[in-house]
Amino acid sequence: MKKIEAIIQPFKLDEVKEALQAIGVEGMTISEVRGHGRQKGHKEVYRGQEYTVDLLPKVKVEVVVGDGRVDEVTRTIVEAARTGKIGDGKIFVLDVIEAIRIRNDDRGESVL
Amino acid sequence: MSPSGQHLHPAPQPFTATSDVLISLAERANQVDQMVSQAADALLFPTIPDGLALVAVGGYGRRQLFPFSDVDLLLLCENETIPRERKPEISAFLQRLWDAGLRVSQSVRTPEECLAVHEQNTELNISLLDQRFLAGDRPLYAKLSKKFPRFVQSNRDALMRNLVRLTRERHTKYADTFYHLEPNVKETPGGLRDLQFVRWMEQLRDADATRLTSPEAPDELREAFRFLARLRFALHTQSGRDQNLLTFDAQDALADNGEGKDVAAWMREYYRQARAANRAALRSLELWDAQSSALFAQFVGWRSRLSNADFSVHRERVHFRSPHQLESDPELALRLFEFVARHGIRLSNEAVNQLESRLSRLREYFDENRSLWPALNQILSQTHAPLAVRSMHETGVLFALFPGLEQIECLVVRDFFHRYTVDEHTLVAIQNAWSAPSSYGELLREVPQKGVLLFALLFHDSGKAHSEAAAGYAGHVEASLQAGDAAMRRIRMPAPERDTVSFLIRNHMELSSAMRSRDLADPKAIHDVAQAVGTEDRLKALTLVTYADISAVNPSVMTPWRSSQLWRLYMAVYRELTRELSEERIADAAFESGAELVEGLPVRYLRTHSQEEIAEHVALAVKSEARGVAVDIHSLESAWQLTAITGDRPGLFARMAGTLAGFGMNILRAEAFSNRRGQVLDTFVFADPTRTLELNPSELDRLRTTAERVILGKLDVRDLLKNRPKPKPLSRKVRVRTAIRFDDEASTTATLIEIVAEDRPGLLYDLASAISSSGGNIEVVLIDTQANRAIDVFYVTVGGRKLTVDEQSAMGEELRKACTPA
Repeated sequence: MKKIEAIIQPFKLDEVKEALQAIGVEGMTISEVRGHGRQKGHKEVYRGQEYTVDLLPKVKVEVVVGDGRVDEVTRTIVEAARTGKIGDGKIFVLDVIEAIRIRNDDRGESVL
Repeated sequence: MSPSGQHLHPAPQPFTATSDVLISLAERANQVDQMVSQAADALLFPTIPDGLALVAVGGYGRRQLFPFSDVDLLLLCENETIPRERKPEISAFLQRLWDAGLRVSQSVRTPEECLAVHEQNTELNISLLDQRFLAGDRPLYAKLSKKFPRFVQSNRDALMRNLVRLTRERHTKYADTFYHLEPNVKETPGGLRDLQFVRWMEQLRDADATRLTSPEAPDELREAFRFLARLRFALHTQSGRDQNLLTFDAQDALADNGEGKDVAAWMREYYRQARAANRAALRSLELWDAQSSALFAQFVGWRSRLSNADFSVHRERVHFRSPHQLESDPELALRLFEFVARHGIRLSNEAVNQLESRLSRLREYFDENRSLWPALNQILSQTHAPLAVRSMHETGVLFALFPGLEQIECLVVRDFFHRYTVDEHTLVAIQNAWSAPSSYGELLREVPQKGVLLFALLFHDSGKAHSEAAAGYAGHVEASLQAGDAAMRRIRMPAPERDTVSFLIRNHMELSSAMRSRDLADPKAIHDVAQAVGTEDRLKALTLVTYADISAVNPSVMTPWRSSQLWRLYMAVYRELTRELSEERIADAAFESGAELVEGLPVRYLRTHSQEEIAEHVALAVKSEARGVAVDIHSLESAWQLTAITGDRPGLFARMAGTLAGFGMNILRAEAFSNRRGQVLDTFVFADPTRTLELNPSELDRLRTTAERVILGKLDVRDLLKNRPKPKPLSRKVRVRTAIRFDDEASTTATLIEIVAEDRPGLLYDLASAISSSGGNIEVVLIDTQANRAIDVFYVTVGGRKLTVDEQSAMGEELRKACTPA
């Protein structure tokens, strides 16, 4: 099993959710996060005061899928989330050691 | 044990209005009494003949036992050895009761422990207020029961204080409101605990050395108790456990009384009862505050100096002096709320009752299409407006004024996020707007018409009752617009204000929609939002409405994440709005007359001026044909406005600013536009600190003619300024740091200069002169002041083109000198 963590632009959330649901990925965790990549952000001036915006609001989408689905899911997310501009975000794939359903103690991939 | 076990848990029944729940609760208590004494006789007393007594406490002691609630049982022991040595017997006894289906919540205490104040365990002290002997060592129990009243009397203050603290914590946990969409009928404000609190406070207050009282509740509270108790009873039997949460599903089931269900109407009944219960609890809390604090008693005297001819202030509450005057002068009610809004003092219970009893008279009065906006605006723009609006809501005056709001009273719109009913959400939004923190708080200070903003918030969701009818997420906007419009006409709000309110209601979801679904770094997205919003004033108001609306959904929605997204959007749109001045010009004006004036002016001109104003400008332009200039000065609500139309010439703007400075005027805002024909339209909004114009009408004329002469070059503005008072040198602690910024990207034809500096009389003249004397030509100007900060934006060219780097630094030097006079 693998966990796929995608940091995306907030305005792309609906699209990514729909795309994942369309390929049968029902469970996901969404969080509001802040961060930046290599291009740090920029200075903005408002009323003579400088605001340094280096932690930009983003959204993190986390899904756990079977090993066989990793490529399909990452491709889906990339297509839905891409705009081609700086700030599109990144996807990370991590190993998952165990999955347990709290309600009835089921374990393994069937839980996903 | 099983025979009685069968009757123990009654089958679910429809929630009817006729069953007397008190009898059912007492019956259950009796059943449990029997079970307890049977079990005790069998397992406890044979081996513990004395030194142990069983006492019912809490709800069980009151004989109010709900089907699945805990059974509060006190094992009173003479000393601590008994529970230690008799542990097996006690365990067996409790086990027997658990096996029979009773959820026993037992405590084991000595009489000494029961006669002590437990700061960390107020519940123990309070549960003993309802003690009732069940079985066992009577003399032992007598030891406790004889001393208990005196204990209460001597420790009254501490006990009441702890109980108040507990209750306030509980209220805070539930956001101090009873308007929860899924209330907990026991714990939520307005629930059973509130009613018990009232009773306990009375008991504590009235206790004397020999006995505890058993106070009778007033009729309305008895009704509330019956309703809530029946409700809790039904919830328990329905779910088969100690479930006290009135979930949506539970509401559906209970509202179905066999004749079809109207859940909304049923919940409204709930809120009515909860309101009565909560009010009683709040009154009890108030009484405690009034009686408990010596410091408070001193403070009370100071505030009563706010009393006036109509109202008196006593113990931090405002009273009518002559309430019967409400009959002949219903607007006394509005003056009362203005008082509340101004001073932040709550209504006394008396005043509340007096208003409630005269609602039909008030409604009759308000129904006649009257000009009530000025009085209302007074209320809605004050510091404590949110408190005033809430008081109006509580007393029903708000609905007498605006029947259109009745449709959202206690309206439940079921939705995963919304915590409150629609009317409570509106009140919370208004409070949030007024107490918005940091940058948003500054926005509030800059919004020119706070009363208008508050009115828009009041009606922004008023159409939610109709959202099923209209399609989509924004279904309620149209209905809210209609309700708002009807209300505004009812109170005869003037057209410009009505426009602003309608704009805010129509667009109250624009910004949150953009935040959620658009790329804020995309210029087109920002441009689109800027187009929809139009002007900075509207942007500020709309941002506040958005902030207030979002944070009133429930307490955790406005996260720092969301707050910074909104602020980011605000800044981007603000920049866009101030930036597009020189770019977007009116190309072909579809005007019958006046096209010549308007063509070539920035598009912004059409957005910031009404049809009437444009017509006035056109007339002024015609006047200016004859003499080459026309100047108009008239008064605004709290300031003056000077409009001048003339042909463009060098240094014009500076000279006009200087004229006003020479007369001692303080320029608040200014705009300078030029059109295709080379005509210039300059507008100055200024304040008259010494009220010269108001007190000397001839000065008005003199100002106008002087302005015309200065413009035509017949008078040198420097002569005017010779006699003005020297500006005060800036104090060491300069509150506003001068910031001068040149922007070459903002416009294709001019250089944008943004100057933020400490405001002072004559500043604008000095800045504009600095630009002119450095060879700059001012194309477009946008001036704003914010408290003591002047924010000036100039679009400048030199020789018809943007400034070179050298020219920028030279001009920057001059500007800096102008900001900080020696």
